[in-house]
Amino acid sequence: MPSREGAKTSRNQKGRILILGVGNLLLSDEGVGVHVARKLMEMDFPPQVRVVEGGTDGFGLMHVLLDADRLILVDAVKGGGPPGSIYRFEVEDCPPFPDVFKTSVHQISILEVINLSALIGSTPRTTVIGVEPKRLEMGMELSPEIEAKIPKVIQFIREELTLSLGNLSGKGPDEAF
Amino acid sequence: MGKRITIDPITRIEGHLKIEVEVENGKVKDAWSSGTMARGFEALLLGKDPRDASYVTSRFCGVCFSVHQMASVRALDAAFGAQVPWGGILLRNLVMGAEYIYDHLVHFYHLSALDYLDIMAIAKYTGKDPELSKVKEKVVGLVQRGDTFPLTPRYEPDEFSVKDPDVVTTAVKHYLDALKMQIKAKNMGVIFGGRAPHYQSIVVGGFTQYPDINQVARFRSMLDELAAFVNEVYIPDVVAFGTGPLLPLAKAGIGGGHRNYLSYGSFELDEAGQKLLFKPGVVVGVKGTEGLTVRPFQHEKITESVRYSWYKNDTPRHPYEGAQVFDLERRDAYSFVKAPRYDETPMEVGPLARGVVDRDPMLLGLMNDYGVKPGAVARHAARAIETKKVVEAMYHWCDELTAAMTKPGFKIHDTDHWQPPAQGEGAGFFEPPRGALGHWIRIKDHKIANYQAVVPSTWNASPRDERGLRGQYEESLIGVPVPDPENPINVVRVIRSFDPCLACAIHLIDPRTNQIRKFLVE
Repeated sequence: MPSREGAKTSRNQKGRILILGVGNLLLSDEGVGVHVARKLMEMDFPPQVRVVEGGTDGFGLMHVLLDADRLILVDAVKGGGPPGSIYRFEVEDCPPFPDVFKTSVHQISILEVINLSALIGSTPRTTVIGVEPKRLEMGMELSPEIEAKIPKVIQFIREELTLSLGNLSGKGPDEAF
Repeated sequence: MGKRITIDPITRIEGHLKIEVEVENGKVKDAWSSGTMARGFEALLLGKDPRDASYVTSRFCGVCFSVHQMASVRALDAAFGAQVPWGGILLRNLVMGAEYIYDHLVHFYHLSALDYLDIMAIAKYTGKDPELSKVKEKVVGLVQRGDTFPLTPRYEPDEFSVKDPDVVTTAVKHYLDALKMQIKAKNMGVIFGGRAPHYQSIVVGGFTQYPDINQVARFRSMLDELAAFVNEVYIPDVVAFGTGPLLPLAKAGIGGGHRNYLSYGSFELDEAGQKLLFKPGVVVGVKGTEGLTVRPFQHEKITESVRYSWYKNDTPRHPYEGAQVFDLERRDAYSFVKAPRYDETPMEVGPLARGVVDRDPMLLGLMNDYGVKPGAVARHAARAIETKKVVEAMYHWCDELTAAMTKPGFKIHDTDHWQPPAQGEGAGFFEPPRGALGHWIRIKDHKIANYQAVVPSTWNASPRDERGLRGQYEESLIGVPVPDPENPINVVRVIRSFDPCLACAIHLIDPRTNQIRKFLVE
């Protein structure tokens, strides 16, 4: 009988990678993750890579999350840098926010969902690629400076993918694509 | 003058719903409910192809997107003159039914139950049940690692909180089980809906994806699992809590408010659309369960007041005429939410409203047997009971779908009415989990000339109106006991019992620390 670790490894060997773009498409730069996801959907990726437009869903994304061995999350991030700044960090680097949790009622943030899903399954290792927004007003278009950063964001995602595909399949990065 | 307590944010998404209460002698004397974010997404639709409406409106809300899609296609069906074939109706209903199960389970177990539990009682569990011991181990492990999220007590337990270690540990086990069940419910909806969160297959005229027999079988077997959970876990939990430790709250009808109820009606049970699972209707001034007079619902009687909202001064208007001009300097205004009224009367919408309008035998039976008055606890009961009703209807729809699929000429879409008319108007009504949702569209020159959505939480969370009548959240807080102003747990219980959602929302990651800057890569 395989050990639990063994089971986990074999699951990892499937190497299902999820690229999840989240945000609200109706609030201009807030939707940058969704805009990126849509661009990615037009591109070709290896079959184990799945691109999902998560919108502003929280709990409802848990079923997608738990289906992945590796998650690349694309979202607007308020990091304090100038608009268009791109951040790349592991989800563990971003502390959960108990003060929000205390009084909140309904929907929960994507980071909370990742945390919560650990209660019932194994949460995929998660890297956030974030973009500092310029404006969050109502509108379906990105600000030009943010739009201009999309190719760069996609390049970072590709780098993550190359590394992950290499690690997850046991092959070197060069063989992954 | 009493002490003012402000609870902001009350929705998990920051800054969208703020509740202010004035407490005097340990009770709420007055209350103000305020939506603190400007809406008005409707403006994005003007001049667009009407078929874009269901796509754009499904992004109004971070939580209830698919139901906007549904109300929107119903408004478009009406405006285009589309006759949705029975197959299309069934598929829409099955996808929406999955949404109900998902939504109500999450609301009860993950968003509300912790307000009624003294979670730390788990540590005192001494029973031998292997499953419950595992739960104890898990939670104690989290506490020891200092990672109490997501079970951190949000308020101090009070005299109504359940403290029995066996009961609390069982409840937390159900919380974990329900996490798996909500995933199942989501996956079930995706079988027909296409990808989630934004279902692709629900469009004006019907549905786009023909189902196959395997899909129906898969759907059914997932439904079996969910039905078992609803009937054997969810309903018994709600009844046990409501008639046990929470009975004093239930009998006092804490959080009852105006006790006026509105349902638009939803979910066709037959091809002619004569029989609905939830009937439309209006009930005003409910005192007990006897002699409820249900009046017919007429959408012409809906108006929206902006007397206390940050909009340009205007008389109350029907949604067809509704406008969206903000006035942030407006005197006396305290909310971005307008105040919808039915026949100039504030209404509650949602599961309790549907249960009362339907004179649901199980709900009214429970209320009679235990002397429960309409209020926060009855709202949780109504939500559980209607989940059971929806599950039963879903079996019926599966049967109907299987029968319809095998008949020649099986249709799921009215393709003759796909092109937008030069002009027209249509109203689309739907009863999503949170309550009455209406979309109104006017079309001119094949384009959207006006669009308005009146969402469930607008009814419940509305501010005062021309007559100074409070909205339902506000009214339901009057008299609520707040013995300790530092711990307004009853206020939160009442508001949460409505399943508040003003989440037309910003979701960006805001770590509240400058640490993230060190991860700048470009």
